Amino acid sequence: MRKLLDLTFRAAAVLCALLACLIFGWIVSAIVWRGFSVVNWRFLTEPMRLAGAEGGIFHNLIGTLILLSTALIVTTPLSVGTALVTAFYIQSERWRRLCLLCLYVLNGVPSLLFGLFGFIVFVSFFGWGKSWLTGGILLGFMILPTVSVALVERLRSLPPLRMEAAAGLGLSRSRIVWFVLLPQCLGGWVSGSFLGLARAAGETAPILFTATIFAGASIPSGIKENPVLTLPYHIFILAQDSFDQAIGGKVWGTALVLLMLAFCMSLVVLPVRLRIHEEADHV
Amino acid sequence: MKRPTMSEITRAPAIEISGLRVYSPSRQILRDVCLAIPHGAVFALLGPSGAGKSTLLRCINRLIELSPGLRVQGDIRLMGRSIYAPGSDVDALRARVGILFQQPAVFPGSIKKNVLFGVRHLGKAPKRLWPEIAERALRDAALWVEVKDRMDDSALELSVGQRQRLCLARALAVEPEVLLLDEPTSALDPLSTEAIEESLRRLRGRRTLVMVTHDPRQARRLADRVACLQVRDGAGEIAESGSALSRID
Amino acid sequence: MTGIRALETESVQAQKLARRVSLTQWTSWVLCLIALTSLAALVLVLIHESWPVWRVAGIDYLAGKQWLSSRHLFGAAPMIYGTMAVAIIALGCAAPIGIGAAICTSELLPRRARLTVKILVELLAGVPSVVYGLLGVLVLRGWVYDLLEPLDPLSGDTLLTGGLLVGVMILPTILTLSDDALRGVPASLRAAARGLGLNARETICRVVLPQAIPGIIAAILLALGRALGEMIAVFLVVGRQDNQWPERLWSVTPLISPGQTLASKLGGSEIHIAHGDPLHWAAMVGLGLLLLGMAGGAAAAAFLLQQKQLRHAQAS
Ligand SMILES: Nc1ncnc2c1ncn2[C@@H]1O[C@H](COP(=O)(O)OP(=O)(O)O)[C@@H](O)[C@H]1O
Ligand SMILES: [Mg+2]
Repeated sequence: MRKLLDLTFRAAAVLCALLACLIFGWIVSAIVWRGFSVVNWRFLTEPMRLAGAEGGIFHNLIGTLILLSTALIVTTPLSVGTALVTAFYIQSERWRRLCLLCLYVLNGVPSLLFGLFGFIVFVSFFGWGKSWLTGGILLGFMILPTVSVALVERLRSLPPLRMEAAAGLGLSRSRIVWFVLLPQCLGGWVSGSFLGLARAAGETAPILFTATIFAGASIPSGIKENPVLTLPYHIFILAQDSFDQAIGGKVWGTALVLLMLAFCMSLVVLPVRLRIHEEADHV
Repeated sequence: MKRPTMSEITRAPAIEISGLRVYSPSRQILRDVCLAIPHGAVFALLGPSGAGKSTLLRCINRLIELSPGLRVQGDIRLMGRSIYAPGSDVDALRARVGILFQQPAVFPGSIKKNVLFGVRHLGKAPKRLWPEIAERALRDAALWVEVKDRMDDSALELSVGQRQRLCLARALAVEPEVLLLDEPTSALDPLSTEAIEESLRRLRGRRTLVMVTHDPRQARRLADRVACLQVRDGAGEIAESGSALSRID
Repeated sequence: MTGIRALETESVQAQKLARRVSLTQWTSWVLCLIALTSLAALVLVLIHESWPVWRVAGIDYLAGKQWLSSRHLFGAAPMIYGTMAVAIIALGCAAPIGIGAAICTSELLPRRARLTVKILVELLAGVPSVVYGLLGVLVLRGWVYDLLEPLDPLSGDTLLTGGLLVGVMILPTILTLSDDALRGVPASLRAAARGLGLNARETICRVVLPQAIPGIIAAILLALGRALGEMIAVFLVVGRQDNQWPERLWSVTPLISPGQTLASKLGGSEIHIAHGDPLHWAAMVGLGLLLLGMAGGAAAAAFLLQQKQLRHAQAS
């Protein structure tokens, strides 16, 4: 009886894991299978024509990359500052936990609400209209918790001995920060940033009302009223009327490109993330 | 102090290890270990650290199979029956062969819950016998006096020495035929060590005890038989074995 | 004596140096404040913009079952219902599978197989929600329609479809975080239980899971937060039918008919129409505030649970 239960239990757990892997395999293969024939060099380098039925996704790709680099530029100083304060400057444990709590809640804020916030503040109040900069800033704030938490974890895992050694050499605190802490947490910054960017690349909700349009924009030349085309919004719009065969092929192709973009960024940080998991093994 | 009689020792041994080899993916850890451990004896395993004492011990209740990558060859017989015989039940084996680790691992929860953990989940005894079983096990482990009034307190409040005795009681409560002890006292203060040694002494004859220790004096105090492991060419092997009094010096 | 004196002055100097706020420290504090006040700003802006609807409609805003913008009737109850329905369906699908798979990866699989599964899951977590939406529109919608065929549904766009889709989306979250929680349980406890003769299932159920349960609940809460706030994928498959308040709260029929969630409402074009009318606008932003409360609450609860488990682990 005990044996039977044990066997069933283990079989069920293995089945669950298999199911998870199958779902993953199915999703990827479904997209690769449908989109593979569409994606080629011309698809990536030609601008869109005929509302997505013809041409490629050049400007969408560029627009997404613009948003991502803006987000990275916005989020890096903010998250480094936040992480330094949270992990290093704050002395009291209680305040540190409050900071972390704020970061976690910020992480839990639905991305749609960043879009709403951006619409109220940047689009209406500042009068920027739809602008790539708004999108970049919003995405930057959206991935801020991911990057900060990765940095904080990295900083807190540094052996205190090393800092004492540096202090013993007579280094001032800011020198310790610049020459000991920051170089050490480069890994955390890379993994956090790429993880965040992989998420930001596919986000549609924050930029829906604030930064992106479906057609008629190319490389932005200013800030106000300068939206960009993006990959996820392209898919979002085409998915809503995708019964046209020509569009059908293009939308899968776009999805494949977006998926690969996200996967590449996740893959970059995979070794770091897996090492974190494996380190947990040896505790 | 009652030593096992000659006839008891010459009877078929409780544990008979023959040709045991253990390999890790990269190298051999144990080479051709052959040992016979008599019924009711206290058997001490000595040797430098890294010689494979813990590995050998974990082979006897097949706990070794939980560390991935290790490969075991050879045979171990418990009461004359091979523990690797096809169709044998590993979990039943482990219930018959208890183990105590170097570091006590108590479960979060009350002292009572800890002592009865095995009894409860193995369904070994009816519920009405539980208090009796707990008391006997705790007495055997020399902990009863200290905890009898706070059986429902959290076990995490106990000191390390008390925790180790609690683990001993937990292992004894399921009435194993053999008890494996992996350096049971090396993490403890002298007083707790003394208490554990005392309870092991009282168990002599009733259970077969296999104890790893790095302290020859402890082996001399407690053991009837000893075996020394040594490392040769990177793998551990039995250097010598025999009755305690003649070997340790 | 002089040596001690010298040491003292040195340490006093060091303290002074430490007390003097350096430029680096100052900048860090400012950046941190900007980052953290963004959260406060978000909350305040949403409260400020939605103030009129709370003043005019008050509690009716939450309890009202009708949303007719032309008659200035704003009741969010059907959307709250839709959001909860989607989230509960999603968790109902994802939690058992995710926890089961996490048990498999952390307790049963050998190292290499576990790494493989973890890599796949990490990648699965990186699939953009709009891609899920696309698959939902072009594939899942058809499946659900076929499944419901005997009940003669209007279309495949239902709350159930949204729930299933979100379930797949949050599966990686539950799986990875539960796996982390399970792996946080010390190996010595497992060895102790196995050494007593408990089998794998008993060890997991009696020793490992009770220890990991706060972490697993935190995982579920985080996934819940994501399920509540997911807009793009849900938007595409949920049907976006207003005023679908169920007659009986626990009946199944509303789940297999089109509905509306807070997020899908906010994602629609109504937000542009609403912008001209202060009360209508406030009502729309109010939906965002509700969403923020629900999702933020879930995230905060998850954080506190994780912290509790961390301290617990340190104590034992
Ligand atoms: N799971 C394992 N994988 C690889 N090597 C192991 C494993 N367990 C133990 N070893 C190796 O086996 C040797 C013996 O270990 P152990 O039995 O713990 O020694 P002792 O208990 O005598 O100090 C050590 O060198 C150790 O590195
Ligand atoms: Mg050892």
